[in-house]
Amino acid sequence: MTNSDSLAVTDHLPPAVDPSPPSLTTLRGRRPEFTDDPMLDRLYSITIAAVSELMVTRSRLDTLERLLAAKNTLTQQEMEDFIADDAAKRERGELQQQILQRIFREL
Amino acid sequence: MTNPKPWQDIGRHAMLPQPTLDERAHLDVVAHLNLFATERLAPAVQRAYERQGVAANDRHEVRRLMEPNPDYRTWSLLRRNTMEQRQHVVRNLVGRQRIELQEKARELNRDGESAGTLRLNPKLQVPRYVCAVDQHLLRGGYTAEWLQDDVSNAANYDAGMFATLGGGAGPWNNAAGRALANWLRSNFPAFSPARIVDLGCGLGHNTLPLRQCFPHAEIIAIDVAAPMLRYGHARARSLGVTDVKFWQQDAVQTSIESHSCDLVFTTMVLHETSKEALPRFFREAHRLLRAGGLTLHLEQPTYRGLPPLEQFMRDWDGKHNNEPFWSALHETNLPQLLQAAGFHEEHIFETRCVAQDSIEDVPHEDFGRAPAWYGVGAWQAATGDAVND
Repeated sequence: MTNSDSLAVTDHLPPAVDPSPPSLTTLRGRRPEFTDDPMLDRLYSITIAAVSELMVTRSRLDTLERLLAAKNTLTQQEMEDFIADDAAKRERGELQQQILQRIFREL
Repeated sequence: MTNPKPWQDIGRHAMLPQPTLDERAHLDVVAHLNLFATERLAPAVQRAYERQGVAANDRHEVRRLMEPNPDYRTWSLLRRNTMEQRQHVVRNLVGRQRIELQEKARELNRDGESAGTLRLNPKLQVPRYVCAVDQHLLRGGYTAEWLQDDVSNAANYDAGMFATLGGGAGPWNNAAGRALANWLRSNFPAFSPARIVDLGCGLGHNTLPLRQCFPHAEIIAIDVAAPMLRYGHARARSLGVTDVKFWQQDAVQTSIESHSCDLVFTTMVLHETSKEALPRFFREAHRLLRAGGLTLHLEQPTYRGLPPLEQFMRDWDGKHNNEPFWSALHETNLPQLLQAAGFHEEHIFETRCVAQDSIEDVPHEDFGRAPAWYGVGAWQAATGDAVND
Protein backbone atom coordinates (compact mmCIF):
# COMPACT_ATOMS: atom_id res chain seq x y z
CA MET A 1 0.00 0.00 0.00
CA THR A 2 1.53 3.27 -1.07
CA ASN A 3 -0.60 5.49 1.12
CA SER A 4 -0.56 4.59 4.77
CA ASP A 5 -3.33 7.07 5.48
CA SER A 6 -5.77 5.94 2.85
CA LEU A 7 -8.20 3.14 3.40
CA ALA A 8 -7.14 -0.08 1.78
CA VAL A 9 -9.41 -1.94 -0.60
CA THR A 10 -10.83 -4.69 1.50
CA ASP A 11 -13.33 -7.51 1.41
CA HIS A 12 -14.81 -6.18 4.58
CA LEU A 13 -17.81 -4.12 3.54
CA PRO A 14 -19.31 -1.37 5.61
CA PRO A 15 -22.58 -2.51 7.13
CA ALA A 16 -25.61 -1.68 5.06
CA VAL A 17 -27.13 0.04 8.05
CA ASP A 18 -24.60 1.89 10.12
CA PRO A 19 -25.80 3.42 13.37
CA SER A 20 -22.43 4.90 14.28
CA PRO A 21 -22.09 8.69 14.33
CA PRO A 22 -20.17 10.23 11.45
CA SER A 23 -17.64 11.62 13.85
CA LEU A 24 -15.79 10.70 17.02
CA THR A 25 -14.12 7.35 16.46
CA THR A 26 -15.22 6.82 12.86
CA LEU A 27 -14.13 10.12 11.41
CA ARG A 28 -10.68 11.56 11.04
CA GLY A 29 -10.60 15.12 12.33
CA ARG A 30 -11.50 16.74 15.60
CA ARG A 31 -15.17 17.05 16.45
CA PRO A 32 -15.69 20.61 17.60
CA GLU A 33 -17.40 21.49 20.85
CA PHE A 34 -19.29 24.74 20.81
CA THR A 35 -20.46 25.03 24.42
CA ASP A 36 -18.58 24.89 27.71
CA ASP A 37 -20.18 21.59 28.66
CA PRO A 38 -19.94 18.49 26.41
CA MET A 39 -23.33 17.46 27.73
CA LEU A 40 -24.87 20.57 26.23
CA ASP A 41 -23.40 19.83 22.80
CA ARG A 42 -24.73 16.31 23.09
CA LEU A 43 -28.14 17.45 24.19
CA TYR A 44 -28.30 19.82 21.23
CA SER A 45 -27.42 17.00 18.81
CA ILE A 46 -30.10 14.79 20.32
CA THR A 47 -32.64 17.57 20.07
CA ILE A 48 -31.84 18.37 16.46
CA ALA A 49 -31.96 14.69 15.59
CA ALA A 50 -35.36 14.40 17.29
CA VAL A 51 -36.66 17.45 15.46
CA SER A 52 -35.42 15.97 12.19
CA GLU A 53 -37.18 12.68 12.87
CA LEU A 54 -40.39 14.54 13.53
CA MET A 55 -40.03 16.43 10.26
CA VAL A 56 -39.36 13.18 8.38
CA THR A 57 -42.40 11.58 9.95
CA ARG A 58 -44.63 14.53 9.16
CA SER A 59 -43.39 14.42 5.59
CA ARG A 60 -44.26 10.74 5.34
CA LEU A 61 -47.63 11.32 6.92
CA ASP A 62 -48.30 14.12 4.48
CA THR A 63 -47.47 11.79 1.58
CA LEU A 64 -49.81 9.15 2.95
CA GLU A 65 -52.70 11.47 3.65
CA ARG A 66 -52.49 13.05 0.22
CA LEU A 67 -52.45 9.67 -1.50
CA LEU A 68 -55.33 8.41 0.59
CA ALA A 69 -57.36 11.52 -0.04
CA ALA A 70 -56.65 11.34 -3.76
CA LYS A 71 -57.80 7.74 -3.89
CA ASN A 72 -60.71 8.40 -1.56
CA THR A 73 -60.04 5.11 0.22
CA LEU A 74 -59.90 5.89 3.92
CA THR A 75 -61.88 8.00 6.34
CA GLN A 76 -60.57 9.83 9.40
CA GLN A 77 -62.72 7.58 11.61
CA GLU A 78 -61.18 4.40 10.19
CA MET A 79 -57.75 5.72 11.15
CA GLU A 80 -58.94 6.55 14.67
CA ASP A 81 -60.37 3.05 15.07
CA PHE A 82 -57.31 1.19 13.81
CA ILE A 83 -56.04 -1.69 16.00
CA ALA A 84 -52.61 -3.10 15.15
CA ASP A 85 -52.24 -6.87 14.70
CA ASP A 86 -49.20 -8.82 15.97
CA ALA A 87 -47.06 -8.28 12.87
CA ALA A 88 -47.89 -4.58 12.79
CA LYS A 89 -47.12 -4.27 16.50
CA ARG A 90 -43.72 -5.90 16.01
CA GLU A 91 -42.83 -3.79 12.99
CA ARG A 92 -43.94 -0.60 14.66
CA GLY A 93 -41.90 -1.47 17.75
CA GLU A 94 -38.80 -2.01 15.63
CA LEU A 95 -39.42 1.32 13.95
CA GLN A 96 -39.55 3.08 17.32
CA GLN A 97 -36.28 1.41 18.36
CA GLN A 98 -34.58 2.60 15.18
CA ILE A 99 -35.74 6.13 15.84
CA LEU A 100 -34.27 6.03 19.34
CA GLN A 101 -31.02 4.67 17.98
CA ARG A 102 -30.74 7.59 15.60
CA ILE A 103 -31.70 10.17 18.20
CA PHE A 104 -29.19 8.83 20.70
CA ARG A 105 -26.51 8.17 18.10
CA GLU A 106 -24.04 10.03 20.33
CA LEU A 107 -24.07 7.33 22.98
CA MET B 1 -38.10 31.93 4.34
CA THR B 2 -36.97 30.50 1.04
CA ASN B 3 -37.97 26.96 0.21
CA PRO B 4 -35.01 24.76 -0.69
CA LYS B 5 -35.38 22.51 -3.72
CA PRO B 6 -36.57 19.08 -2.57
CA TRP B 7 -34.32 16.14 -3.32
CA GLN B 8 -36.88 14.77 -5.77
CA ASP B 9 -35.83 17.62 -8.12
CA ILE B 10 -32.24 16.34 -8.41
CA GLY B 11 -31.07 15.56 -11.95
CA ARG B 12 -31.51 11.86 -12.63
CA HIS B 13 -28.79 9.68 -14.11
CA ALA B 14 -28.07 5.99 -13.97
CA MET B 15 -25.51 6.19 -11.14
CA LEU B 16 -27.58 8.21 -8.71
CA PRO B 17 -28.30 6.19 -5.54
CA GLN B 18 -31.97 5.85 -4.65
CA PRO B 19 -33.15 6.93 -1.20
CA THR B 20 -36.26 5.57 0.43
CA LEU B 21 -39.20 7.88 1.04
CA ASP B 22 -37.94 8.62 4.58
CA GLU B 23 -34.33 9.10 3.51
CA ARG B 24 -35.47 11.55 0.88
CA ALA B 25 -37.52 13.37 3.49
CA HIS B 26 -34.47 13.43 5.79
CA LEU B 27 -32.34 15.00 3.04
CA ASP B 28 -35.04 17.64 2.64
CA VAL B 29 -34.86 18.23 6.40
CA VAL B 30 -31.10 18.78 6.06
CA ALA B 31 -31.76 21.34 3.32
CA HIS B 32 -34.36 23.11 5.46
CA LEU B 33 -32.15 23.19 8.55
CA ASN B 34 -29.24 24.57 6.54
CA LEU B 35 -31.37 27.29 5.04
CA PHE B 36 -32.80 28.08 8.46
CA ALA B 37 -29.26 28.50 9.76
CA THR B 38 -28.50 30.86 6.88
CA GLU B 39 -31.63 32.94 6.85
CA ARG B 40 -32.57 33.08 10.53
CA LEU B 41 -29.58 32.23 12.67
CA ALA B 42 -26.74 33.92 10.75
CA PRO B 43 -28.48 37.34 10.86
CA ALA B 44 -28.94 36.80 14.60
CA VAL B 45 -25.18 36.31 14.90
CA GLN B 46 -24.65 39.54 12.99
CA ARG B 47 -27.05 41.42 15.29
CA ALA B 48 -25.36 39.97 18.36
CA TYR B 49 -21.99 41.14 17.04
CA GLU B 50 -23.30 44.62 16.36
CA ARG B 51 -24.80 44.80 19.86
CA GLN B 52 -21.34 44.30 21.28
CA GLY B 53 -20.45 47.69 19.82
CA VAL B 54 -16.84 46.69 19.20
CA ALA B 55 -15.15 47.28 15.87
CA ALA B 56 -12.87 44.26 15.64
CA ASN B 57 -9.71 44.63 13.59
CA ASP B 58 -9.62 41.10 12.25
CA ARG B 59 -11.48 37.78 12.34
CA HIS B 60 -9.40 36.57 15.30
CA GLU B 61 -10.75 39.42 17.42
CA VAL B 62 -14.27 38.62 16.22
CA ARG B 63 -13.71 35.02 17.22
CA ARG B 64 -12.71 35.95 20.76
CA LEU B 65 -15.80 38.13 21.02
CA MET B 66 -18.28 35.76 19.41
CA GLU B 67 -17.30 32.23 20.35
CA PRO B 68 -19.05 32.46 23.74
CA ASN B 69 -22.14 34.04 22.18
CA PRO B 70 -25.30 31.86 22.34
CA ASP B 71 -26.46 32.93 18.88
CA TYR B 72 -23.13 32.00 17.34
CA ARG B 73 -23.11 28.70 19.22
CA THR B 74 -26.63 27.85 18.09
CA TRP B 75 -25.76 28.63 14.47
CA SER B 76 -22.58 26.56 14.70
CA LEU B 77 -24.23 23.59 16.36
CA LEU B 78 -26.94 23.54 13.73
CA ARG B 79 -24.43 23.69 10.85
CA ARG B 80 -22.28 20.92 12.30
CA ASN B 81 -25.26 18.72 13.11
CA THR B 82 -26.87 19.09 9.71
CA MET B 83 -23.60 18.04 8.06
CA GLU B 84 -23.35 15.03 10.38
CA GLN B 85 -26.96 14.10 9.64
CA ARG B 86 -26.42 14.42 5.89
CA GLN B 87 -23.41 12.13 6.09
CA HIS B 88 -25.25 9.64 8.26
CA VAL B 89 -28.29 9.42 6.00
CA VAL B 90 -26.32 9.23 2.77
CA ARG B 91 -23.76 6.75 4.07
CA ASN B 92 -26.56 4.38 4.96
CA LEU B 93 -28.43 4.70 1.69
CA VAL B 94 -25.26 4.35 -0.39
CA GLY B 95 -23.99 1.50 1.79
CA ARG B 96 -27.16 -0.44 1.10
CA GLN B 97 -26.72 -0.01 -2.68
CA ARG B 98 -22.94 -0.31 -2.87
CA ILE B 99 -22.89 -3.54 -4.88
CA GLU B 100 -25.60 -2.41 -7.26
CA LEU B 101 -23.74 0.86 -7.85
CA GLN B 102 -20.46 -0.98 -8.35
CA GLU B 103 -22.09 -3.18 -11.00
CA LYS B 104 -23.75 -0.27 -12.76
CA ALA B 105 -20.44 1.59 -12.93
CA ARG B 106 -18.65 -1.49 -14.27
CA GLU B 107 -21.27 -1.86 -16.99
CA LEU B 108 -21.25 1.80 -18.02
CA ASN B 109 -17.43 1.97 -17.87
CA ARG B 110 -16.94 -1.28 -19.77
CA ASP B 111 -15.17 0.18 -22.81
CA GLY B 112 -13.81 3.27 -21.04
CA GLU B 113 -10.29 1.96 -20.92
CA SER B 114 -10.14 0.90 -24.57
CA ALA B 115 -11.71 4.21 -25.60
CA GLY B 116 -9.13 6.08 -23.49
CA THR B 117 -11.87 7.96 -21.63
CA LEU B 118 -11.28 6.24 -18.28
CA ARG B 119 -7.68 5.77 -17.29
CA LEU B 120 -7.08 4.63 -13.74
CA ASN B 121 -3.67 4.18 -12.21
CA PRO B 122 -3.69 1.96 -9.11
CA LYS B 123 -0.01 2.71 -8.62
CA LEU B 124 -0.54 6.43 -8.33
CA GLN B 125 0.98 7.90 -5.19
CA VAL B 126 -2.05 9.75 -3.81
CA PRO B 127 -0.88 12.88 -1.98
CA ARG B 128 -1.32 12.67 1.76
CA TYR B 129 -3.15 16.00 1.89
CA VAL B 130 -5.98 14.38 -0.06
CA CYS B 131 -6.18 10.88 1.38
CA ALA B 132 -5.55 11.73 5.06
CA VAL B 133 -8.57 14.02 5.35
CA ASP B 134 -12.26 13.17 5.71
CA GLN B 135 -13.27 16.27 3.75
CA HIS B 136 -16.50 17.86 5.00
CA LEU B 137 -17.09 14.79 7.17
CA LEU B 138 -17.08 12.36 4.24
CA ARG B 139 -15.76 9.26 5.95
CA GLY B 140 -12.65 8.02 4.19
CA GLY B 141 -12.53 11.14 2.02
CA TYR B 142 -12.61 11.18 -1.77
CA THR B 143 -10.11 8.37 -2.19
CA ALA B 144 -11.49 5.66 0.14
CA GLU B 145 -12.39 2.38 -1.51
CA TRP B 146 -14.65 0.12 0.49
CA LEU B 147 -14.70 -2.64 -2.13
CA GLN B 148 -13.17 -3.41 -5.54
CA ASP B 149 -14.09 -0.87 -8.22
CA ASP B 150 -15.87 1.12 -5.54
CA VAL B 151 -17.91 4.25 -6.24
CA SER B 152 -19.52 4.63 -2.78
CA ASN B 153 -18.00 7.90 -1.67
CA ALA B 154 -18.63 9.52 -5.04
CA ALA B 155 -22.29 8.48 -4.88
CA ASN B 156 -22.34 9.83 -1.34
CA TYR B 157 -20.94 13.18 -2.45
CA ASP B 158 -23.35 13.48 -5.38
CA ALA B 159 -26.50 12.68 -3.40
CA GLY B 160 -25.52 14.61 -0.27
CA MET B 161 -24.29 17.78 -1.92
CA PHE B 162 -27.71 18.48 -3.38
CA ALA B 163 -29.19 18.38 0.13
CA THR B 164 -26.57 20.66 1.69
CA LEU B 165 -27.03 23.23 -1.06
CA GLY B 166 -30.80 22.81 -1.10
CA GLY B 167 -30.47 22.37 -4.84
CA GLY B 168 -28.74 25.76 -5.03
CA ALA B 169 -26.22 24.52 -7.58
CA GLY B 170 -28.99 23.31 -9.86
CA PRO B 171 -30.30 19.79 -10.48
CA TRP B 172 -26.87 18.62 -11.64
CA ASN B 173 -24.85 20.21 -8.80
CA ASN B 174 -22.91 22.01 -11.50
CA ALA B 175 -23.33 25.75 -10.91
CA ALA B 176 -19.56 26.35 -10.72
CA GLY B 177 -19.00 24.80 -14.14
CA ARG B 178 -21.89 26.77 -15.58
CA ALA B 179 -20.55 29.94 -13.98
CA LEU B 180 -17.16 29.34 -15.57
CA ALA B 181 -18.69 28.68 -18.99
CA ASN B 182 -20.95 31.70 -18.57
CA TRP B 183 -17.99 33.94 -17.70
CA LEU B 184 -16.12 32.80 -20.81
CA ARG B 185 -19.11 33.26 -23.10
CA SER B 186 -19.91 36.71 -21.71
CA ASN B 187 -16.40 38.12 -21.60
CA PHE B 188 -14.59 36.31 -24.39
CA PRO B 189 -17.20 35.10 -26.89
CA ALA B 190 -14.49 34.44 -29.48
CA PHE B 191 -12.45 32.21 -27.13
CA SER B 192 -12.71 28.71 -28.53
CA PRO B 193 -10.39 26.29 -26.74
CA ALA B 194 -9.34 23.15 -28.57
CA ARG B 195 -8.09 21.38 -25.44
CA ILE B 196 -9.47 21.92 -21.93
CA VAL B 197 -8.08 20.46 -18.70
CA ASP B 198 -10.02 20.29 -15.41
CA LEU B 199 -7.56 19.84 -12.55
CA GLY B 200 -9.20 18.08 -9.58
CA CYS B 201 -12.42 17.26 -11.41
CA GLY B 202 -13.95 15.07 -8.68
CA LEU B 203 -16.93 13.31 -10.22
CA GLY B 204 -17.09 15.82 -13.07
CA HIS B 205 -20.02 17.93 -11.85
CA ASN B 206 -18.35 21.07 -13.20
CA THR B 207 -16.57 19.46 -16.13
CA LEU B 208 -19.63 18.56 -18.17
CA PRO B 209 -20.94 22.15 -18.59
CA LEU B 210 -17.72 22.85 -20.52
CA ARG B 211 -18.66 20.09 -22.93
CA GLN B 212 -21.99 21.82 -23.59
CA CYS B 213 -20.26 25.16 -24.02
CA PHE B 214 -17.46 23.86 -26.27
CA PRO B 215 -18.85 20.81 -28.10
CA HIS B 216 -15.75 20.31 -30.23
CA ALA B 217 -13.04 20.72 -27.59
CA GLU B 218 -11.03 17.84 -26.22
CA ILE B 219 -11.73 17.77 -22.48
CA ILE B 220 -9.45 16.01 -20.01
CA ALA B 221 -10.62 15.74 -16.40
CA ILE B 222 -7.87 14.94 -13.91
CA ASP B 223 -8.24 13.68 -10.34
CA VAL B 224 -6.37 11.47 -7.87
CA ALA B 225 -9.51 9.73 -6.57
CA ALA B 226 -10.43 6.56 -8.46
CA PRO B 227 -13.96 6.25 -6.99
CA MET B 228 -14.80 9.78 -8.16
CA LEU B 229 -13.47 9.07 -11.67
CA ARG B 230 -15.29 5.74 -12.00
CA TYR B 231 -18.53 7.32 -10.89
CA GLY B 232 -17.95 10.47 -12.93
CA HIS B 233 -17.18 8.54 -16.11
CA ALA B 234 -20.25 6.32 -15.64
CA ARG B 235 -22.42 9.34 -14.82
CA ALA B 236 -21.22 11.16 -17.94
CA ARG B 237 -21.91 8.10 -20.08
CA SER B 238 -25.40 7.74 -18.71
CA LEU B 239 -26.00 11.41 -19.57
CA GLY B 240 -24.86 10.78 -23.14
CA VAL B 241 -21.43 12.38 -22.76
CA THR B 242 -19.01 9.81 -24.14
CA ASP B 243 -15.89 11.78 -25.03
CA VAL B 244 -14.77 13.54 -21.83
CA LYS B 245 -11.59 11.87 -20.59
CA PHE B 246 -11.36 10.99 -16.90
CA TRP B 247 -7.77 10.30 -15.97
CA GLN B 248 -6.37 9.37 -12.58
CA GLN B 249 -3.30 11.54 -12.20
CA ASP B 250 -1.87 14.02 -9.76
CA ALA B 251 -2.90 17.48 -10.96
CA VAL B 252 0.51 18.94 -10.18
CA GLN B 253 2.25 16.49 -12.48
CA THR B 254 0.04 15.36 -15.34
CA SER B 255 1.16 13.37 -18.36
CA ILE B 256 -0.26 15.98 -20.73
CA GLU B 257 2.33 17.51 -23.03
CA SER B 258 3.60 21.03 -22.37
CA HIS B 259 1.97 24.02 -24.11
CA SER B 260 -0.77 21.88 -25.61
CA CYS B 261 -3.83 23.29 -23.79
CA ASP B 262 -6.02 26.37 -24.19
CA LEU B 263 -7.93 26.30 -20.92
CA VAL B 264 -6.79 24.86 -17.60
CA PHE B 265 -9.23 25.35 -14.74
CA THR B 266 -10.25 24.29 -11.24
CA THR B 267 -13.56 24.69 -9.38
CA MET B 268 -13.57 24.62 -5.58
CA VAL B 269 -10.36 22.61 -5.53
CA LEU B 270 -7.78 25.04 -4.20
CA HIS B 271 -9.27 25.06 -0.68
CA GLU B 272 -8.72 21.31 -0.53
CA THR B 273 -5.12 21.67 -1.63
CA SER B 274 -2.18 21.90 0.74
CA LYS B 275 0.02 24.95 0.95
CA GLU B 276 2.84 22.97 -0.63
CA ALA B 277 0.77 21.66 -3.54
CA LEU B 278 -1.04 24.92 -4.32
CA PRO B 279 1.84 26.69 -6.17
CA ARG B 280 2.43 23.47 -8.09
CA PHE B 281 -1.16 23.56 -9.45
CA PHE B 282 -0.38 26.98 -10.93
CA ARG B 283 3.02 25.90 -12.25
CA GLU B 284 1.38 22.91 -13.92
CA ALA B 285 -1.25 25.19 -15.49
CA HIS B 286 1.56 27.40 -16.78
CA ARG B 287 3.40 24.42 -18.21
CA LEU B 288 0.28 23.09 -19.95
CA LEU B 289 -0.95 26.31 -21.55
CA ARG B 290 -0.03 27.29 -25.04
CA ALA B 291 0.43 30.93 -26.05
CA GLY B 292 -2.79 32.87 -25.53
CA GLY B 293 -4.25 30.14 -23.32
CA LEU B 294 -6.17 30.80 -20.11
CA THR B 295 -6.05 29.43 -16.60
CA LEU B 296 -9.05 30.19 -14.37
CA HIS B 297 -9.80 29.07 -10.82
CA LEU B 298 -13.17 29.40 -9.08
CA GLU B 299 -13.22 29.59 -5.30
CA GLN B 300 -14.91 31.19 -2.34
CA PRO B 301 -13.72 34.78 -2.00
CA THR B 302 -10.41 35.58 -0.47
CA TYR B 303 -10.69 37.18 2.99
CA ARG B 304 -8.70 40.18 1.80
CA GLY B 305 -10.91 43.27 2.06
CA LEU B 306 -13.92 41.53 3.65
CA PRO B 307 -15.40 42.84 6.92
CA PRO B 308 -13.92 40.96 9.91
CA LEU B 309 -17.28 39.42 10.88
CA GLU B 310 -17.77 38.02 7.38
CA GLN B 311 -14.25 36.62 7.41
CA PHE B 312 -15.00 34.96 10.73
CA MET B 313 -18.28 33.46 9.49
CA ARG B 314 -16.67 32.25 6.27
CA ASP B 315 -13.86 30.68 8.23
CA TRP B 316 -16.30 28.32 9.98
CA ASP B 317 -15.71 25.47 7.50
CA GLY B 318 -11.97 25.62 8.02
CA LYS B 319 -12.36 25.20 11.74
CA HIS B 320 -15.38 22.95 12.10
CA ASN B 321 -16.07 21.10 8.86
CA ASN B 322 -12.84 19.18 8.23
CA GLU B 323 -11.45 21.64 5.73
CA PRO B 324 -7.86 21.94 7.03
CA PHE B 325 -6.59 24.11 4.15
CA TRP B 326 -9.59 26.46 4.02
CA SER B 327 -8.29 29.25 6.27
CA ALA B 328 -4.82 29.41 4.75
CA LEU B 329 -6.16 29.40 1.19
CA HIS B 330 -8.44 32.35 1.80
CA GLU B 331 -5.55 34.32 3.24
CA THR B 332 -3.27 33.48 0.33
CA ASN B 333 -2.64 36.06 -2.34
CA LEU B 334 -3.45 33.94 -5.38
CA PRO B 335 -2.50 36.55 -8.00
CA GLN B 336 0.97 36.64 -6.45
CA LEU B 337 1.16 32.85 -6.61
CA LEU B 338 0.19 32.92 -10.28
CA GLN B 339 2.95 35.41 -10.91
CA ALA B 340 5.43 33.21 -9.08
CA ALA B 341 4.29 30.32 -11.28
CA GLY B 342 5.45 32.22 -14.36
CA PHE B 343 2.46 34.26 -15.51
CA HIS B 344 3.13 37.91 -16.31
CA GLU B 345 1.67 40.39 -13.84
CA GLU B 346 -0.27 42.25 -16.53
CA HIS B 347 -1.97 39.02 -17.63
CA ILE B 348 -3.25 38.11 -14.15
CA PHE B 349 -6.77 39.09 -13.06
CA GLU B 350 -9.38 38.61 -10.36
CA THR B 351 -13.07 38.41 -11.23
CA ARG B 352 -16.47 37.17 -10.14
CA CYS B 353 -18.25 34.27 -11.82
CA VAL B 354 -21.95 33.61 -11.49
CA ALA B 355 -24.08 30.82 -12.88
CA GLN B 356 -26.37 32.55 -15.32
CA ASP B 357 -29.74 31.35 -14.08
CA SER B 358 -29.07 31.16 -10.37
CA ILE B 359 -28.11 34.56 -9.06
CA GLU B 360 -31.71 35.70 -8.59
CA ASP B 361 -32.25 32.64 -6.43
CA VAL B 362 -29.77 33.84 -3.84
CA PRO B 363 -31.22 36.72 -1.89
CA HIS B 364 -29.01 36.10 1.14
CA GLU B 365 -25.30 35.80 1.70
CA ASP B 366 -24.86 32.27 2.99
CA PHE B 367 -21.19 32.43 3.86
CA GLY B 368 -19.81 29.95 1.42
CA ARG B 369 -22.61 28.15 -0.35
CA ALA B 370 -24.04 30.62 -2.84
CA PRO B 371 -23.62 29.83 -6.56
CA ALA B 372 -21.29 32.79 -7.10
CA TRP B 373 -17.53 32.54 -7.03
CA TYR B 374 -14.35 34.49 -6.79
CA GLY B 375 -12.35 33.83 -9.93
CA VAL B 376 -8.62 34.24 -10.26
CA GLY B 377 -6.78 33.57 -13.46
CA ALA B 378 -4.14 34.48 -15.99
CA TRP B 379 -3.59 34.48 -19.71
CA GLN B 380 -0.51 32.84 -21.06
CA ALA B 381 1.58 35.40 -22.90
CA ALA B 382 0.67 35.39 -26.57
CA THR B 383 4.27 35.24 -27.66
CA GLY B 384 7.74 35.24 -26.20
CA ASP B 385 9.52 33.46 -23.43
CA ALA B 386 6.52 32.84 -21.15
CA VAL B 387 5.60 29.74 -23.07
CA ASN B 388 9.11 28.47 -23.44
CA ASP B 389 10.61 28.63 -19.98
